[in-house]
Amino acid sequence: MLFISKQKEIQSQISEYCASVIKCMDTFQDAVKLYCDNSDRKAAKASFAEVHKAESRADDIRREIEVLMYSKSLFPESRGDIMGLLETMDRVPNQAESSIRMIWNQYVTIPEQHVDEVLNLVDVCCRAAYAMVESAEKLFSDFTNAAVAVGKVDELESEGDRIEASLIEKIFSEKSNNISTIVFRDFIKCVVQISDRAENVGDRIRIIVAKRAI
Amino acid sequence: MLPLTGGLYLGWALGANDAANVFGTAVASRIITFRKASILCAIFIILGAAFQGEAGIHTLSGLSKQSHMPTLLVVSLSAAITVTLMTIMRLPISASQATVGSIAGVGLATGSMQWGGLVKVIICWVASPIGALIIACIIYKLLAAFIRYTPMSVLTRDKILWGGLIIVGIYGSYALGANSSANATGIFSGQFPGISDKELALFGGISIALGVLTYSKRVMMAVGKGIMPLDAFTALVTVSAMAITVHIFAFIGVPVSTSQATVGAIIGIGLIRGAHSIKFRSLRNIGFGWLLTPIIALVLSSSAYAIFCLAKPTL
Repeated sequence: MLFISKQKEIQSQISEYCASVIKCMDTFQDAVKLYCDNSDRKAAKASFAEVHKAESRADDIRREIEVLMYSKSLFPESRGDIMGLLETMDRVPNQAESSIRMIWNQYVTIPEQHVDEVLNLVDVCCRAAYAMVESAEKLFSDFTNAAVAVGKVDELESEGDRIEASLIEKIFSEKSNNISTIVFRDFIKCVVQISDRAENVGDRIRIIVAKRAI
Repeated sequence: MLPLTGGLYLGWALGANDAANVFGTAVASRIITFRKASILCAIFIILGAAFQGEAGIHTLSGLSKQSHMPTLLVVSLSAAITVTLMTIMRLPISASQATVGSIAGVGLATGSMQWGGLVKVIICWVASPIGALIIACIIYKLLAAFIRYTPMSVLTRDKILWGGLIIVGIYGSYALGANSSANATGIFSGQFPGISDKELALFGGISIALGVLTYSKRVMMAVGKGIMPLDAFTALVTVSAMAITVHIFAFIGVPVSTSQATVGAIIGIGLIRGAHSIKFRSLRNIGFGWLLTPIIALVLSSSAYAIFCLAKPTL
């Protein structure tokens, strides 16, 4: 019974962590949308701070889970797998925050003609992160089907790569190439890494399931 | 009491080697510390020997009626030397085969062999790996279906398997004590006034437990490098099948080898998963051990008996 309550405690913390990752991605999407609508840095500052706050919250929960897992008696194999999973998952909100920090620090300008595609890319990357969270949650409710949910992450990652390639081709086909173009290109690459990192989480989930395949 | 030391040494060697069959994977995977596993294993071996070890004593003592202490010394030492030789040759040991081989050697030399009992024992030796194979296949299918078709957390799955491994380890220890204590002290049945068969079984169990506590760590840590690498699922199936098989033979009253039951269970899993996962070289070594152990013990005990007779013709 003692073990069951410990397990429930860990599972509830993991659910909280997943919710914090979703919250971070939501605030990230809202912040980019706001910045695209109005590129005034001062107006965007509050929403950027929200992303940072959400990312920090996710970090805090992850650390709490790590401490919990070492203080509670989980089997070594489960502990190693879950720690690795959380570390990999954490790179997704980190990347969202990095993208926002890039906009702020490097004065990224999003050309008006590319706003829709940028928002589409952000949407695809956020959906990849949501699918990642969904498959991670499956591990803690119905693990044999977790790998099925990972397929959605892969599809969205490919979609993200496609949008990135098309966008970069477009911006360099325009005549007015300058330093802003390079910074914009780097920003796109930074955003698309969200879906790449979500895909890495998917790969880890596949391994966790495969290790337990019968 | 001198002949008893040979039997107790045999029990010690059996404990040092066979504890790995019940707790090896759990200890090697750090699910339970060696200290906790060996204490649990020792306690339940003694309980198994105390409550159900008597039947095996009756079987072994009935194989060949020997009442001379030197003869008993020959039997117990031959079995002990055989086990030591097999360990040096790095072949899997079977204390029950060594004991029965030694009894048969002296029984043949003295013409007192009870053939009916020997046939029963040999049938059980063949039946134990086959039984374990069948039981392993059944447990595998049932457990696999349960895990596949019951939606559960990865933590619950690990808890069922690793926690189950500790429970079946305890049960396996009990079965080991119930089945194998007779190997150590079975031949001394009726030889010491005031010591009943139940007490002899208990002594046998204690000697096995001492082997577990003092010298089983190395073998436990080496587990998983044998016939097939064992994960939590296969280890649970293997140990369960071995424990059930060995316990059944404890009821029948014939000591069988836990190593051979384990081999049978692993082959069963290999048949379900595909033969590629089985290391056939290890399997061949086990086959050699299976054949060589009783033969070496038989030759040793009959030769030693002949030497004793030459030295002391009145024996």
